[in-house]
Amino acid sequence: MKEPVMDIRGLTKYYGDVVGIEGLDLKVYPGEIMGFLGPNGAGKTTTIRVCLDLLQKSEGEVKIFGLDSHEDSLEIRRRTGYLPGDFGMYNDLRVKTILKYLLSQNGISDTKKMEELAHRFELDLNRKYGELSKGNRQKAGIVQAFMADQDLIILDEPTSGLDPLMQKKFYEFLREERDKGKTVFMSSHILAEVEEVCDRVAIIRSGHLQVVEDIHSLKEKMGKKLVVEFENRVDTGMFEMEGVNDISIQGRMVTMIVTSNLDEVIKTVSRQNIINISLETFSLEHLFLTYYSRGGSE
Amino acid sequence: MKFGRTMLMELRNSWRGYLIFTLVVVLILAGMVEIFPSVSEAWEHELDGEENIDIVTVVEGDLAEIKLTWVECPGADNYTVMVGNSPYMIVPLDRIEGIEGRGYTYHAPLEEGTLPELYFSVLAVVDGEREFVGTEGTMERLNPLEETLGLNYGDIRGFLSVIWGMWFVLLIGLYIALAAVNSISKDFEEGRMDILLSQPVSRRQYMLEKISVVALVTMVLLVISGAVSVASVKAVGELETISASAILLTTVLSWPLFLVIITFSVLMAVLLGNSRKALGITFLFVLVQYGIHLVGDMAEALEYVKPFSIIYYWNHESLLYGEAVAWGEIMFLLVLAMVFVVLSLYIFERRDVPA
Repeated sequence: MKEPVMDIRGLTKYYGDVVGIEGLDLKVYPGEIMGFLGPNGAGKTTTIRVCLDLLQKSEGEVKIFGLDSHEDSLEIRRRTGYLPGDFGMYNDLRVKTILKYLLSQNGISDTKKMEELAHRFELDLNRKYGELSKGNRQKAGIVQAFMADQDLIILDEPTSGLDPLMQKKFYEFLREERDKGKTVFMSSHILAEVEEVCDRVAIIRSGHLQVVEDIHSLKEKMGKKLVVEFENRVDTGMFEMEGVNDISIQGRMVTMIVTSNLDEVIKTVSRQNIINISLETFSLEHLFLTYYSRGGSE
Repeated sequence: MKFGRTMLMELRNSWRGYLIFTLVVVLILAGMVEIFPSVSEAWEHELDGEENIDIVTVVEGDLAEIKLTWVECPGADNYTVMVGNSPYMIVPLDRIEGIEGRGYTYHAPLEEGTLPELYFSVLAVVDGEREFVGTEGTMERLNPLEETLGLNYGDIRGFLSVIWGMWFVLLIGLYIALAAVNSISKDFEEGRMDILLSQPVSRRQYMLEKISVVALVTMVLLVISGAVSVASVKAVGELETISASAILLTTVLSWPLFLVIITFSVLMAVLLGNSRKALGITFLFVLVQYGIHLVGDMAEALEYVKPFSIIYYWNHESLLYGEAVAWGEIMFLLVLAMVFVVLSLYIFERRDVPA
């Protein structure tokens, strides 16, 4: 088993009496894209900012590259790129000047990667930051997060303000970076985005982690929706077997959720005359809503 | 990590403001020194019509014999002399009417063995109407600033002392407080702090660079102010009265005073994280220091409050009059600034960065 790049244990952050996050355990492994999913105010940004030592943790431990997030924060920041949720910069200065300054803070004077990224994301480096649209500011933020070629990239809502075409470009770029061995930890509340680009997902709700799972396994666990239209009415009792839940009948139409034992279910179904059949995989959205409707009991 | 990149960035971001303020200071300084000759001259001939009256004082025993003579007023039937403690004669001490001729001798008792400060106004009665001849006093009159602050506005050293002590310190103090607070608070408020502090730069280095850039700009401003003052004093022909080095030393040695204001401003910025609140408290701090300094200058009885103001430790009056530099007082200001820096670092390294 590879050593995790990020190892968060029992992380808790209180804002006075208010819980930001509580008892959060999470591991992010090298070369993966980990999605951190949750609605606004769930604790995603708090987690990220504690990891980067922008917030002091109340309890728990955060190790990044095996280093303590507070004691060794300088070394961690040297190896970590970061895009905050709100990327603000000097409005009167040109994007190039700002990005060169941030590069120089990392001890880098070569601007080749910065220029390549700007070209890829169609960002005009010669414009003043204050003149940029929301989308272009976000592009500038993305460029600055990746331009120093660091091992770990932490992104807080990275596609906020980007148009769909640019989002696609960004997802493609993320996968390329992952394939080069970079580790990406990104928060999002856009389910389709996480589903499209992430290898694993952690779902957070009201400061508490609900689940951490490989996206495909998670979807497998959630099961598939089987809808069958029979020629004649059937008895639901025939489908009562292990791995089959939520069976409902409407006339000759039977709907059920199959989490396992699919082979046996199909064999049972095929003993009857079938008019129509469909098997749907659940979207992450359904999964997400399920976790939320369960009130965090999972 | 190399020191100076954040300073350079701060300068790039704020240079317009610094430049405009420096130009304002230069223009005001040069303009004020330019008016010195007329102020000085106006001061020397301040009493209205004093050239029309001569006073000769002879002391005999406990009495002063004050002999007044004045120029003739055409058509005068007689003259009236008014005696008062001030040249404005709002409440005259004495009034002598129907004086024939152009002279009068007034007897006044000595006050604790010294000549009393009295003013005489002479009026001519022409066809029943009074015409003003002039006013003169027994002593060379001090202007109100000289009377209260002990400064001679008619002397270039006193003039510069008033300019620097009265507005230079206030104007620069308030501006650098604004610059120092904004250098930190704007990074919070404009959403830059997350990015700046997520770089491999310690919070300590970030803050020291922010303080350094304002301190450096202030030093440059003071050197320019000193140079402009020297040039202006030379232009009005007063460089024989005061040396260029005394002027430069006085301006440059105000730097520790401003350093205290800068570091206090930064302390408020990191403590409050909000530019409005930080500016409010910092401006209040500067104004209170200024107020204490002024009150302490008003009267000898109030002098004991002066050491409670940081302006007292600048000692600009002594420096302008060529006295030795009070290094102990300068050290006190530097130590105070260091205390504010240490406190700021302590708080900033432990506080959450607001989102």
